[in-house]
Amino acid sequence: MMWKKTLSDIITELRADENVIHWHELEPVEAKTCPMPAFIDERLRLALEARRVRHLYTHQYSAFEAVQNGENIVAVTPTASGKTLCYNLPVLQKIAEDETSRALYLFPTKALAQDQKSELNEIIAEMGADIKSFTYDGDTSPAIRQKVRQAGHIVMTNPDMLHSAILPNHTKWVSLFENLQYIVVDELHTYRGVFGSHVANVIRRLKRICSFYGSSPQFICTSATIANPKELAEQLTGSPVRLIDNNGAPRGRKHFVFYNPPVVNEPLNIRRSATVEVNRLAREFLKNQIQTIIFARSRVRVEIILSHIQELVKRDIGPKTIRGYRGGYLPKERRTIEKGLRDGDILGVVSTNALELGVDIGQLQVCVMTGYPGSVASTWQQAGRAGRRHGEAVIIMVASSTPIDQYVVQNPDYFFERNPESARINPENLIILVDHIKCAAYELPFRVDESFGPMDVTDVLEYLREERVLHYNGGKYHWSHESFPAANISLRSATQENVVIVDQSETANVKIIGEMDRLSAMTLLHDEAIYLHEGVQFQVEKLDWDHKKAYVRQVDVEYYTDANLAVGLKVLEVDRTKEKSSSAVHYGDVTVNILPTIFKKIKMTTFENIGSGPITLPEEEIHTNAVWLELNIEKPEKSLEHLLMGIASVLHHIVPIHTMCDKSDIHVVSQIKAAHTGLPTIFLYDHYPGGIGLAEDVFKRFDEVKEAAKDLIGKCPCQNGCPSCVGMGFDGMDVKRKSMELLDQF
Amino acid sequence: MSMAKKLQRLKKHIVREEPSALKPEPPKGIRFWDVWESAGAELFEFEGEYCITRETNYAIGQAHGLYTFEDAQKTIGQWASFNGHHPLSAKGFQSSDLFFFDIETTGLSGTGSVIFLLGTARIHENQVTVKQYFLPSPGNETALYAKFLQETDYSTLVTYNGKSFDWPQVKSRHTFVRDKVPALPAFGHFDLYHASRRLFKHTMESVKLVNVEKEHLGLERVDDVPGHLAPIIYFDFVERGDPEGVLQVMKHNERDILSLITLYTHISRLVLDESALSDDQTALEVGKWFEASGNSVAAKEAFEKSTESRQEEVALDAAFRLALQFKREQSFEAAVPLFNRVREAEGARSIEAAIELAKVYEHKWKNIPQALRETEWALEQKLEKEAVKRALEQRLHRLEKKLSK
Repeated sequence: MMWKKTLSDIITELRADENVIHWHELEPVEAKTCPMPAFIDERLRLALEARRVRHLYTHQYSAFEAVQNGENIVAVTPTASGKTLCYNLPVLQKIAEDETSRALYLFPTKALAQDQKSELNEIIAEMGADIKSFTYDGDTSPAIRQKVRQAGHIVMTNPDMLHSAILPNHTKWVSLFENLQYIVVDELHTYRGVFGSHVANVIRRLKRICSFYGSSPQFICTSATIANPKELAEQLTGSPVRLIDNNGAPRGRKHFVFYNPPVVNEPLNIRRSATVEVNRLAREFLKNQIQTIIFARSRVRVEIILSHIQELVKRDIGPKTIRGYRGGYLPKERRTIEKGLRDGDILGVVSTNALELGVDIGQLQVCVMTGYPGSVASTWQQAGRAGRRHGEAVIIMVASSTPIDQYVVQNPDYFFERNPESARINPENLIILVDHIKCAAYELPFRVDESFGPMDVTDVLEYLREERVLHYNGGKYHWSHESFPAANISLRSATQENVVIVDQSETANVKIIGEMDRLSAMTLLHDEAIYLHEGVQFQVEKLDWDHKKAYVRQVDVEYYTDANLAVGLKVLEVDRTKEKSSSAVHYGDVTVNILPTIFKKIKMTTFENIGSGPITLPEEEIHTNAVWLELNIEKPEKSLEHLLMGIASVLHHIVPIHTMCDKSDIHVVSQIKAAHTGLPTIFLYDHYPGGIGLAEDVFKRFDEVKEAAKDLIGKCPCQNGCPSCVGMGFDGMDVKRKSMELLDQF
Repeated sequence: MSMAKKLQRLKKHIVREEPSALKPEPPKGIRFWDVWESAGAELFEFEGEYCITRETNYAIGQAHGLYTFEDAQKTIGQWASFNGHHPLSAKGFQSSDLFFFDIETTGLSGTGSVIFLLGTARIHENQVTVKQYFLPSPGNETALYAKFLQETDYSTLVTYNGKSFDWPQVKSRHTFVRDKVPALPAFGHFDLYHASRRLFKHTMESVKLVNVEKEHLGLERVDDVPGHLAPIIYFDFVERGDPEGVLQVMKHNERDILSLITLYTHISRLVLDESALSDDQTALEVGKWFEASGNSVAAKEAFEKSTESRQEEVALDAAFRLALQFKREQSFEAAVPLFNRVREAEGARSIEAAIELAKVYEHKWKNIPQALRETEWALEQKLEKEAVKRALEQRLHRLEKKLSK
């Protein structure tokens, strides 16, 4: 029998691997601690000691101290640095001192709240204190809801539940709101974009209700590393917040390895599939009994890699010890996997970014990423899963062929020297704001002199009065409509009216399996579209647009579908302009008309186009913000259209990295003759009615974006354009150089 | 005498030209105040807010549906001679202790839904008094609840679904003004919706109050505004100020409250006086109600009578329930013949009866062969629940083992 290799053996081998194109070593860091404050409640101290917590890491100590001083805080901590103690310690101490105190914990998902409840309840049980902590979500049985409302010291919930169940029924929660001391916002960095903009408004409503009941709670937030935690926390909570970032948790040596699969097709610059390389690398670790986590970007990819790896290592270690982990697994199943990882019973796990969030799975030795996770912040979060407090750990990022992956691995400085992205929200988006002012007025009449966040909202209130939704009387705007506004407002989707997805695979068991916002549904749920849900393929049999229902049936096909959109853009107003001799960059309001035209069927293995069909849906119109790049060329050469398309595609890759948004949040369109000027133009617009601040961010940091785009094109190893950068060039046309020159004009 | 003095002297004789002195300006500039006034409305002002109240009295001899208010008074008195527990028992109460109560709101639930009308009725010695408290526009709730609480000294509310709707709504709205008005007093609560479900569900598809009125109280609503239109009518009033529609909603509310009196009378009679019972099924339901409220004496009495019903199903259900009561008292001699009757009838509850018999034979009378026969019989029947089947098989297995010892 062969001797098992150790981690250091494999590290040595990896160093010699020619596909490793960058090796970055992070030195070990010693723990920095402070003694436990002397006045901590004796029961709490003993409970912590029983969990081997005798000292506090510096960041935990600073968090506790600042909260004791009455400050709002945001604690920025890497994965597994004991961040929960940053809030559990001050909260438990407060309740131990005064048992009428209450705390509200907000987690972005139901599952995280469940996790935290069990951890917190273990400490409480060890304290032997009568502190009641409950989760309150859609799964809470009606029988105990009343108990939660009246007697829960710590209520753990999510923003959706706060928005649609707790705030609109605040009179049932009097004892919570009267005594609310702390509001904990965990995983703050997840509140960005549309969701974050909604949540900021939900928190404004929460603060209004608290002040009605005479409480003014402090905020305790925790966040993964992002560029602007303090700014985001202040925007979300509407209060000054102190940043705590003196992380004192220890860290062992970490090797961060960029791995680029070999080129298999020189002219097209196509590389071997990242998935294949990941399978091979993961197998090497796993068969040597080294605990490994593998990240993949989609649920389907998780399932594919999982089955491959289970097959590969079956003979070596048996299939049971390699598990998948993603949204859509039952909570109980996930708890078992988490525990297995902590105890070491499970050797490997293949996961989506679901394991990026603060689920406790202990510390693994190796992390393998299938492709660049999409943002610097997210990459560090995933990397944080590997690395014990002592001993070595390896993180391998295997690049795929996409432009962005290639850009990242070939520009290691970009990644290692760059600050992580900023998380942006725009709570003042008028559509979102109006929605929440309705909810706020429903909850409590609006005083005429009252502001909502930093805004004077008199105009909104007057508008709603004219719409007969509010009634003005005695200096207050009163809700005067029979509807329940929160019911029609979803915090997580772009448009309010969602399409419900109905699975009719079994006639006797027709069920709803999900929903999707209207704009996305146009391209993903049209008739005959292949829709993937938890790794299962469904075909849309009928999209009933009038009733917002998509009827799907399970299928097993070899292709996926991709819809084409015809996009019309009208500039309504130019807010700001940066002009150059031959070009201009503008920012302003636009109307976008979107009409899906056809869809293509694309074979999964080869990406060939194997068929197409028409999409017949009505045109959608959204009013949003855009930034557009305009060239002062009246009579463009023929090749310009091609160049603009290439640049648009590069920008669409680059912008999501710089603005920390999803690729689908921002759209890029190039036009050889823009409707309003007749000039060659590239538009980038927020794919959300009213805009969420992405285009504005691009305008502000345009130079940075431009340089990154040029860099991507310049460093792409292809000779004359490839799908990874500006697309294929024509014969004799230096498409790469011309694209970069064109970018330089802006 | 100067002209001025003369005028003073003759003041009383000079015809005045100021009708406004006789008919004062509508208070607070309320639009259509004359319409309100002619409908008997009064104004209540409080801390810069106001609400409108209206009182209507009915002679005690007047009928509303099957009964007069005098009948209601009598029936409430009859609870005095009732012994034991019943959820609707008014024993020890005066008729005027009961507050018949119903509200109208602008929405279903949640803090944005406002109560715009609180209606109460009370039976006094010689008359029934209906009092209604109306919110003229949002932002006058302090006045509304100040007035309501000032005049309300209820000890027991009588409502239709008030436990889960009306009263939680009142509590919620009261929270908004709790600093300025008295606290809500504690009280008893008779919810006639739950009572109606028990007694009438077997004959009615929906036990909505209007349907119960029609089926059981001899009432038919003419020109009634349907309750679900109330919010729209109210918002229209807030907008235009014309009380015409609101007065109709008030009429609707008044009818609801008066019907509560009739319904309470009717249900009390069904419980207290078996001659009031129209059919055997309802009689059984009354017994089941006693059973559920833990009044075993009254339950047994009712079941005893129901066992004589000519409706086979009613009689067997009653027999089974009576047998269970006996079993609970360890009166197996009395229980077994009843269980036997049910089992032999091979009806809906035969299998349960066989199981009960098997239990008694096995554990109490130690008659293993007989217990085995009952169990085998049960197993031969069509068993729908897997759990029941498994339990029976275990029993069979155990009995066989006992027998073979």
